[in-house]
Amino acid sequence: MIRFNDIKREAGFVFGHRQIKLTLLVVFLLSSLSLWSGYSEMQEQQATIERLLEKDETERNAVLTHQSNYGMVAYYAFHLTYAPPSPLAFAAVGERDVFPWKHRIRMLALEGQIYESDTDNPELAFLGRFDFAFVTSVLLPLFIILLLYDLKAKEREARRFDLLNVTARNSHAIWSSRVLVTLVPLALVTLIPFIAFSVVNGASVFQTVTVCTIVIGSIIVWSAIVLAIGAAKRFANFSATHLASIMLGVWLVTTVIVPVTGHTIINASVDTPEGGDIVLTQREAVNSAWDKPVEQTWEAFIETHPLWADKTDFDPQRDSSFNWKWYYAFQQVGDQTAKELSEAYQASTLRKDKIASYVALLSPPLLTQRLLTNAADTDVKAMVNYENNVREFHASLRKFYYHHLFEAPEFSSASFKQLPQFSPKIRKTQENTNED
Amino acid sequence: MILNVAKIICAEQWRYWMRTKVAATVLLLGAMLTIAALVVNAFHIDEAAHTRDHLQTEAEQRFEAQPDKHPHRMVHYGHYVFRAPTPLSVIEPGVDTYTGNAIFLEGHRQNSAMFAEQRQSAGLTRFSSLTPSFLALVLAPLFIILIGYGSVSREREAGTLTLLLSQGTTRWQLLLGKLLALITASCLFLLPLLLACLYVAFSNESALVVILFCLSYVVYFLLWATVVTACSAIFEKSSVSFTVLVVIWMSACVLLPRLGSSVATNIAPSIGKLEADFKVEEKLRSLGDGHDVNDPAFKKLKEDLLAKYNVDSVDDLPVNFRGIVAQYSEGRQAKVLNEFAETRMTEELEQAQIARQFGWLSPTVAVRSISTILAGTSLETHHRFLREAETLRLEFVQALNKVHAEKLDYKLDMNRNASEEAADKAVVGADNWAILAEFDFKPETGSTRISNALIYFIQLLLWMGLTALLLQAAVRRLNP
Repeated sequence: MIRFNDIKREAGFVFGHRQIKLTLLVVFLLSSLSLWSGYSEMQEQQATIERLLEKDETERNAVLTHQSNYGMVAYYAFHLTYAPPSPLAFAAVGERDVFPWKHRIRMLALEGQIYESDTDNPELAFLGRFDFAFVTSVLLPLFIILLLYDLKAKEREARRFDLLNVTARNSHAIWSSRVLVTLVPLALVTLIPFIAFSVVNGASVFQTVTVCTIVIGSIIVWSAIVLAIGAAKRFANFSATHLASIMLGVWLVTTVIVPVTGHTIINASVDTPEGGDIVLTQREAVNSAWDKPVEQTWEAFIETHPLWADKTDFDPQRDSSFNWKWYYAFQQVGDQTAKELSEAYQASTLRKDKIASYVALLSPPLLTQRLLTNAADTDVKAMVNYENNVREFHASLRKFYYHHLFEAPEFSSASFKQLPQFSPKIRKTQENTNED
Repeated sequence: MILNVAKIICAEQWRYWMRTKVAATVLLLGAMLTIAALVVNAFHIDEAAHTRDHLQTEAEQRFEAQPDKHPHRMVHYGHYVFRAPTPLSVIEPGVDTYTGNAIFLEGHRQNSAMFAEQRQSAGLTRFSSLTPSFLALVLAPLFIILIGYGSVSREREAGTLTLLLSQGTTRWQLLLGKLLALITASCLFLLPLLLACLYVAFSNESALVVILFCLSYVVYFLLWATVVTACSAIFEKSSVSFTVLVVIWMSACVLLPRLGSSVATNIAPSIGKLEADFKVEEKLRSLGDGHDVNDPAFKKLKEDLLAKYNVDSVDDLPVNFRGIVAQYSEGRQAKVLNEFAETRMTEELEQAQIARQFGWLSPTVAVRSISTILAGTSLETHHRFLREAETLRLEFVQALNKVHAEKLDYKLDMNRNASEEAADKAVVGADNWAILAEFDFKPETGSTRISNALIYFIQLLLWMGLTALLLQAAVRRLNP
């Protein structure tokens, strides 16, 4: 049983220590700095989206006023799609610097457009982001090791160990309370800046609590590892720094060796189609359509769009230049040809992510990282979801234009009121992931 | 004499390491990791080189195997270029996994590189990666700390330091011996790396580049060995020396490189490609649509051409006016596109250089900059790839436009949409597609890369000076 008096005494002891105070200050600064950096980056992304939306609208309206047939509008009008940063993205930038979060797409074959990436500076992505997720998953364990490794050894070396044990009412309580008065301030200096930023950024209470739970969980796991090594009978004769070396070894294995081994094994075991093959296949299919009999394109098109089976004829009077219906039909067929490869590519991305989630069970830092990016909606799954949103939106564009091209109503600008608008899907509730 | 005593001290230290399991484990683990990283990476790079080589040949063959067509359709058919890895990327893959290595080249557009490998890594390699450079730059220093933090302070705590110094060993000899031991130990990590470099040197990489590359890693290891030995001498207790060294390692190897990246993103935000695209479009709209010969923007071109050939209408021109317009507008458009592309690349490079300034604060950042620049896996080399791809793009598009202007009759061309037969007539022969220049990407010449890395060598020199001063201070302060 820990008594209040014990805690008070230990708190006095811990805060009398310059090294501990300094460590707490450093953690506080790092946490704040990482949050500020993530916050201002996400503000910039939000502002970029707003600027883009405005220009996108102007640009499209210009196309609508200049063109006078549906085929031309479909060719020239681009549509902005984007995945806005979630209210927690400032804490875990995640995959947003590698996967695209904005695309401008049009009615042409989607496979030729969706792999375009407007991502950040590759050198900065290579150096990595200094975000809150990094601080809590990679740095915090190191601070815990530094704070706790010589918990008992320090007293032994100062020859106070026995004295402390004898004078305390309950020798167990001293060490428990000493651990508590070290870790609770550590958790506080890490989390208080986070809570402040999440209030500013309008994250929900549930989301904030989720992140706090993950961070506290990570602190508990690492403290348990550190204390278990410190108390292990096997290491009873080791000096404090020897023990710390072992703790760092555990950090090394979980933070570096498990992930890179996992990565190597996953890469070797999951077959991924060459990305280049998808675009090459799609391009061949689209371009060869010009040289093929028109019927071949229609056959493949009608197979997936039986609705338009009777409307494939074309009126040379009306469509003076060439047949837009056929043009977009072979764009569609191009996508259909590459569909299998493209689906396999996405499936392999998700499969690798799935296996990675099992690998993460062996590595607390990786698990923390994954849980945080999951909570912030910046993980691989979220980025793939965005890709699928774009695919859905493109499908709705096709539906709109196919109607106007095949039914062939008179051109009217009013009909563009029905033009599909992209709206980003925001995840409503926190789904449970298998990692929880 | 100095060296003889130092050698004895070094041998003593080795005997101690072999006795204690922690040091032996660390040494073994480090050596194994480095070798594993080299092997895995070498296989990966070799495979990537072959795949890209194969895809490149295939792309060229497919282009040339196209049937008779309207030349402008070949402009839209486009071409792919793939970037092959450089020899030193076996050790330092740098930005390669983040950039994507294929670009689709077509008329009227500059596309970005596609399929960055990093997207397929499920976030596992965001902090760490099994690359020799990561192991050498980030993990090796930690290993050196783990085996060396107590090399002098241990003697002091055991009371043997007094003994040693009173027996006539000088402070310099003692520290030199300890340093020598740590250097020989760190060779276990360094040696596989140097051997790999030696192997690379026999490929078509400039020897000077390989030597400087090796040298920067050697210096980096020396720096850490010296700092560790010095700290172990300066601080009274092993535990203090340990804590201080781990904090130094955390800041230099883990914290500062990332801090640099975040600072660069925030103080010099660059507008993305999409946003730049809008500006490009705005500017291009004033230049006219190259598909439409009646666009008023081409009026002057038409008048000049009619005057040049002294005819009254475009029908009488000896060249196909549509082809001329395509050529003209593609050239003008490329100028605008390149202007914006250059701005973007300059911005990116400025960001990267801000992040690299952190080399004044951390030797890890300095050596990383040197390593990526020399290996040809830096942002500069990626930009070079983009520029070369653009040159090739403009070259083949303009060659096709030339074919359009000179080999396709204007009347047949204008009539192409009248019927299927008319369309079949408005083509040129497949023999015109043999216009692709072979794409074989090479990084900048050795001397360019070395001069790009010059400032980072200066950073490294600064660190050498500071470390030497630290060692001197340690010698002066060494008290039993």
